[in-house]
Amino acid sequence: MADMHHPERAKQPQDDSAPSLTESEVLAELFELFNASTPSQPNSSLDAIIQPRNSPAHTCSETSASSTADPDLAQVFQHSADSILENSDSLSPDHSFAELQKLLFNFDQAQLNQLKHRLEEPEQRAADVGQVLRQAILLQSMETEQYNLFVAAMMPTVEQAIQESVQNDEQVIADAIFPIVGPATRKAIATALESTIQRLDQLLEQSLSPSALQWKLESLRTGKSFAEVVLLRTLLFRVEQVFLIHRSTSLLLQHVVAPSVAAQDPALVSAMLQAITDFVQDSFTVQAGDRLETLRFGDLTIWIEQSPQAILAGVLRGQAPVELRVVFRQAIERIHRDLGLALVAFQGDSSPFTAARPHLEACFQTEYKASEHKKGRPYFWALAACVTLGLGIWGYQDWQARHRWTAYLKQMGAEPGIVINSAEKRWGKFFISGLRDPLAIDPATQLSINGINPNSVISQWQPYLSLHPQLMEARAKQILQPPATVSIAVNEAGVLSAIGSAPLNWIEETRTLVRAIPGITQFKNEVAIAELQALGDSRSRIEAQILLFEENTTNLLTHSQTLDALVKEIQTLTQLTALLHRQVRIQIIGRTTPRGTVAQNVLLSQERANAILEILVAKGVQPANLVAIGIGASQPLSNPQIPSDQLNRSVTFKVLFTETSIPRTGSP
Amino acid sequence: MIQKKVCMVGAFATGKTSLVARFVSSIYSETYQTTVGVKIDKKLVQMGEQGLMLILWDLHGEDDFQKLRLSYLRGSSGYFLVVDGTRRATLDKAYILQSKVEAEIGVVPFVLLLNKTDLQDDWELEDSAIAEAVNKGWTVIKSSAKTGLGVEEAFLTLSRKMLEI
Repeated sequence: MADMHHPERAKQPQDDSAPSLTESEVLAELFELFNASTPSQPNSSLDAIIQPRNSPAHTCSETSASSTADPDLAQVFQHSADSILENSDSLSPDHSFAELQKLLFNFDQAQLNQLKHRLEEPEQRAADVGQVLRQAILLQSMETEQYNLFVAAMMPTVEQAIQESVQNDEQVIADAIFPIVGPATRKAIATALESTIQRLDQLLEQSLSPSALQWKLESLRTGKSFAEVVLLRTLLFRVEQVFLIHRSTSLLLQHVVAPSVAAQDPALVSAMLQAITDFVQDSFTVQAGDRLETLRFGDLTIWIEQSPQAILAGVLRGQAPVELRVVFRQAIERIHRDLGLALVAFQGDSSPFTAARPHLEACFQTEYKASEHKKGRPYFWALAACVTLGLGIWGYQDWQARHRWTAYLKQMGAEPGIVINSAEKRWGKFFISGLRDPLAIDPATQLSINGINPNSVISQWQPYLSLHPQLMEARAKQILQPPATVSIAVNEAGVLSAIGSAPLNWIEETRTLVRAIPGITQFKNEVAIAELQALGDSRSRIEAQILLFEENTTNLLTHSQTLDALVKEIQTLTQLTALLHRQVRIQIIGRTTPRGTVAQNVLLSQERANAILEILVAKGVQPANLVAIGIGASQPLSNPQIPSDQLNRSVTFKVLFTETSIPRTGSP
Repeated sequence: MIQKKVCMVGAFATGKTSLVARFVSSIYSETYQTTVGVKIDKKLVQMGEQGLMLILWDLHGEDDFQKLRLSYLRGSSGYFLVVDGTRRATLDKAYILQSKVEAEIGVVPFVLLLNKTDLQDDWELEDSAIAEAVNKGWTVIKSSAKTGLGVEEAFLTLSRKMLEI
């Protein structure tokens, strides 16, 4: 029917060889044909067109009967249609054509227009595509291969879109993935932590447990590395490598190796493995079809599984369970199922066999001694407890050390003569620096008193002079060296007060020295001169002396020892007066009882006084200091314990000083 | 990366192992040849864009005591037939071996290597003998494992022939 609209055909004049039918006959035939081909279609509208021509119905039916199987029917059909269009007078060409189109193709013009509109209007087309797009994707997803292509086609667009979105405003994507980032991160951290704890626990067990010591001994004994011994003793079995080998060429198709396993060049190993298999087969009589299945060397085993085109070789260490063999067998079977054709067509390109990797990786199995994980990681918890305890102790000690340090700093800060410039703790050591008066307390000795280890402290003290009263007092004492009888004090105003008694020398020296003591503004001297005191005491002792005589004589009743003591006292007195720049005069006063005459009594008393003077001079007392006076009974002594007559037959002493130069006792 | 299995075939002491020793990487010692009768090495040949990994099966040279293990030849995509140029008999041996190999694995590319060309004074192969091989349509390359002459060329030639198929 495509030829119907052929332009040449449309213009072609009526051929002589074509059946010579009238137009109405042709038309009738045409409609008849149409009816025959579409029986369900009502023909009322056809009749309407036929009617104006009044064509005989039988001719039409005859032609129809004879031409149903005519191969040139389409040509006739076209020809007739063209004729109708060319010769129709009563109908407009457009209308006729539309009618014909409608009749022939059963097309509704409105529908056509609608379709045309849908195709030409971008908005409408977009809406249409939108409606079917979701369904199309769903349909694609059902066909794995198609879907992969679809995904591959979409990928660059999606990637580009994400990239541009991030470049434009990274916050949009960040916000979108925010809800999943948190859980994913937590999960990753938890997994990593779990794995780390597990490894740490294993490590601890391997280094601390009794069996670890045993392994270390074994390692020393056998010369194997410790890790090797641990592996051998804890590993039940492990699949270390899996080879997929092309059977006829013995070329390596795929190879997977377990983590931390040192593997030789797999291409060479697989070829050699095949060579060994051939070698065994050639060297020993084996039944046809039998193949090498297991190679064993110590605890190393090689399992070989075969399919018609491939060999799967697994390298295992330890005692693998028989069930694992089934896993190997399943793996080779699945490879054969999935990649059978690729194996047959193999020409040295192993890239298609990347698809076999999951099957090979499924063979990777490892089993350690079960007891390890049932213990609940005791070594880890023991370590954790030790660490916690250690941290606790360290923390307490650290707190205590800081506390003591603070107390020490407080004390030092309050201490006169100490100025702290800086104090800190670095790398476990305390550092302190500042100024210290040499007379202040020693900060180092205070460390031990405060419970601080002196080795943990590095101190730097610069010397200076403090004007704190306490320090000034200490300095004054150090310089003045006061005797025990003198007490010294310095007040806030720098006034130095000295109280007590001291030798005149010291007092005079102090007056000079005190001016040189830093910070002392004034010297308040309240120190009594010690020699003056002694002089008074000596005079009292001499004046208390009473020398008794026999009645009416100058015979002394007192023992000579008393006289010696008196002489010594007088000499002391003489020395003191010399020291104090004074002169002394001792009156020797003779007395008598009132009996007898006054003249006699005066004479006797004078004699008695003279007698003592002579004795004293004889005993070494300077006569210049002595004067003998007889007063008779004019100034009698009285004492309730001694009878008056006896008491007044005596000599007593009166000490008199002449101040040649009087030492001062007041302030300077 | 394309892999191909290639065998080194030849009479005893024709220098097969020396030929590969200097030009390949290996993890196995030569004792394998005397024990299992083969030593496996590999060599990467770059053919333009295409990298070709030759898995070289260096078969034990056939002598009075040990025959060639034909099973080792299976799956070869090509082979080197090695002749010692200083021993005329090794060429005759090569003809015999070539027939054996072809009978075992069929027609595959191979290169006849006339080895030990560095020993010119002892050279026993007359030009006519070489021409005979060439006339058979064989690819003949003179080589020396000692100087390296012709070795790379031989690997490249065989690689090219294998990839042409």
